[in-house]
Amino acid sequence: MKVSISGAKEKTLRQMKAEEAAKNVLCALISIFVFCLVWHLGTRNGTKLGELLPGPVETLSYFFRGFAANIGTYTMVGHMIWSFMRVFIGYVIAMLIGIPLGVAMGWSKTANAIFRPIFEVIRPIPPIAWIPLSIVWFGIGEGSKYFIIFLGAFTAMTINAYAGVTSVDEVLVGAARMLGADEKQVFINVVMPSAVPSIFAGLQIALSSSWGVVLAAEMIRSSEGLGWIIISGQNTNNNVQLLAGIIAVGVVGFASVLLMREIERRLCSWTERGR
Amino acid sequence: MDRERQIKNKMITMQHVAKTFVTERKTTRIIDDISLEVKENELVALFGPGQCGKTTLLNVMAGLEKATSGEIIVNGEKVTRPGPDRGFVYQTLALFPWLTVMGNVCFGPRMRGISKKEREERARYYIDLVGLKGFEDSYPVQLSGGMKQRVGIARAYCNEPSVLFMDEPFGHLDAQTRYLMQDELMRIWEKEKRTIVFVTNNIEEAIYLADRVIVLTNCPTQVKKEYIIDLPRPRDYVDPGFLALREDISSVVDKTL
Ligand SMILES: Nc1ncnc2c1ncn2[C@@H]1O[C@H](COP(=O)(O)OP(=O)(O)OP(=O)(O)O)[C@@H](O)[C@H]1O
Ligand SMILES: [Mg+2]
Repeated sequence: MKVSISGAKEKTLRQMKAEEAAKNVLCALISIFVFCLVWHLGTRNGTKLGELLPGPVETLSYFFRGFAANIGTYTMVGHMIWSFMRVFIGYVIAMLIGIPLGVAMGWSKTANAIFRPIFEVIRPIPPIAWIPLSIVWFGIGEGSKYFIIFLGAFTAMTINAYAGVTSVDEVLVGAARMLGADEKQVFINVVMPSAVPSIFAGLQIALSSSWGVVLAAEMIRSSEGLGWIIISGQNTNNNVQLLAGIIAVGVVGFASVLLMREIERRLCSWTERGR
Repeated sequence: MDRERQIKNKMITMQHVAKTFVTERKTTRIIDDISLEVKENELVALFGPGQCGKTTLLNVMAGLEKATSGEIIVNGEKVTRPGPDRGFVYQTLALFPWLTVMGNVCFGPRMRGISKKEREERARYYIDLVGLKGFEDSYPVQLSGGMKQRVGIARAYCNEPSVLFMDEPFGHLDAQTRYLMQDELMRIWEKEKRTIVFVTNNIEEAIYLADRVIVLTNCPTQVKKEYIIDLPRPRDYVDPGFLALREDISSVVDKTL
């Protein structure tokens, strides 16, 4: 009776997961390799495509050299940090406003009645449409970039926080009341925890749209960041730099999604997705 | 003889309770004038056909739903809203999935501001009582159906309410586990006597567990008939007395379409 059944089950499950993870990594490596091979063969010397598109060897070596040598004013890492910080600041501001707003709208009919109309008008506007106006308001510096990243991120956060709060299981709310919880305790102990998975879904969506927005902003006006690497590659006819910039975007975007999932896994170990 | 003394006080009094749901399209009468009494430490089974309004009746008795008319008094106090002096065990389990077994069982005492040390001590007692010792740190998803409902029972008990309402608590279990849980409930109840109102749509379960079986009619539901079950415990499903009662009750219960 002392031997924990769940302990034994967990171990085999963990083994299975490890095996599956190893298999996935192998598949990923093979598919990346095949992709590079096709890319290499397609762009080898003398082909039509080769004139327009640099090959993988050239691009990747440029990409990795960028970690040591400057591209423009910064190294590749420097540019990544620039873009990352812009996303980070806009994103955090969006979190601080978007999540409480969504939660308030979900919890209180009055808050919903007040904010919903404004929100519904702002929601369908692509954040890029705000770029000219944000430059007028905040100048061409960092402020305008934070602003549009904020706009790109906060709608998804608000909508998902709202959905999480409104979809709380009424039976659970009843159960908490039966056990003696008052309104405030129901909110903190039932509504918020059950909204967490949905809030995280919103955070994931917002993360990818933030990356889209920061690139657009950097391409329009900036002298650093991954968007700048791409656009200056185009302006100077340096396709290798352009492609290396695109790859860097993929790498950083992927890394931030992984980071986000890890945080979610720790916070929501009780959900299916979290385990 | 000891039981006679134990169950003489009235714990629940329900008078002319009716419940009508009003939706945009129509109004439906679910409960049609029910009056009943439950004595202290009595285990009463409400037995009725599917969809007759058993859950609604129990929700009204517990204060989760407002009665359209009539009044319910539990332990001397009028029921107007949910409260910790009444415990509820759900047909759908309704455990908090983000809390461990310990977290779920402790929930009530925590909401009522009982110190961590005291509530965990108490929770440990009830977790032990329902046979879940060693699973304190498991999450509900990690438990089997029978174990989940043990958590539900411990959670309700741990708040030390004066009445426990159980809404088909074993309805979702397979037959084997169901029999086991019925015996477990008997064991727990013998050890920790409480007033229990137990809803079921299973006639054997009602006779096996209850001191008294109240048979409900189809919707809008009313009390059809009452049976005192004075068979000695533990009861036997194939005992002649049991079978006779079963026959008798079956003959009065409405058939569902
Ligand atoms: N909030 C509500 N609004 C309108 N109708 C409701 C509501 N709750 C329940 N009903 C209706 O009341 C009827 C009885 O439901 P209830 O769940 O009380 O029956 P039950 O006897 O518990 O059923 P089961 O055997 O499935 O547990 C159902 O037809 C249901 O549609
Ligand atoms: Mg029911």
